[in-house]
Amino acid sequence: MSRPLVVTRVVGALAGAVLAVGLGLAFFVVPPDAVQGEVQRIMYLHLGAVAAAYFAFFVTLLASVRYLWKRDLRADAVAVASAEVGVLFTGVVLASGSIWGKSTWGVWWTWDARLTLTAITFTIYVGYLMLRAFAEEPQAAARYGAVLGVLGFLAIPLNHFAVQWWRTLHQPSSIIRAGGPSMDPFMLTVVLVNVCGTLLLYGYLLLERVRLERIRHRTLQLRLSRGRRG
Amino acid sequence: MDSWGFIGLAYGIAAIALTAYIVGLRGRLRDAGQTLTALERDGGRSAR
Repeated sequence: MSRPLVVTRVVGALAGAVLAVGLGLAFFVVPPDAVQGEVQRIMYLHLGAVAAAYFAFFVTLLASVRYLWKRDLRADAVAVASAEVGVLFTGVVLASGSIWGKSTWGVWWTWDARLTLTAITFTIYVGYLMLRAFAEEPQAAARYGAVLGVLGFLAIPLNHFAVQWWRTLHQPSSIIRAGGPSMDPFMLTVVLVNVCGTLLLYGYLLLERVRLERIRHRTLQLRLSRGRRG
Repeated sequence: MDSWGFIGLAYGIAAIALTAYIVGLRGRLRDAGQTLTALERDGGRSAR
């Protein structure tokens, strides 16, 4: 329990290798964008982080449903671990998006539907982690966290479709859209390599963060059993 | 700031955030592991 599993090390090494290839292609092989120029290279970081954040919160949703259904503490460990890693990637999305926005729109921030909903999503899951941290009783923390883990996910589809439902400064989706991707096929391939690398990095961080939860659960169990005996 | 400045800022912030998280997570794992090991050792002693 105190050392990473072999699978964790393999996923971590794969993440490093795929990201090295993906970022190498993004910086040295893909030509600059015809409209935005060099600065469009931020896209490879931004979209990878978006994919990892969405996926992380989806995993939190599934694990929260499982906890509510089975009262399985292993599912709760996955839920809280995935939410924390999702918050990390959402922070990267907000920072990289803001920098990309400054270089193309001329502003660091605007109260556009997509940007605002991303900030709300970030706040919801920071609130989730705070709720978990401040709850005194572990079962109550897991129960309240699971409810918020399910309700919080409603922000994700709302966020994804915001660029279609409202007039926004943020460009509409250029990959997951009706009629297929509008992006150049080579750029799309490089985006997908970086998305795979970022998802593997998410997997590595998730496995390590779940290991921390398992150690904490075991410690709590030992302390409780000693308390009963003492 | 030119295009490469913005690119460097975006990738730099992401690299710092991810590195800080990994270092912090390893620290939490080390501390939690030491606490657990100490508890298990004490439990083993009291059981004997």
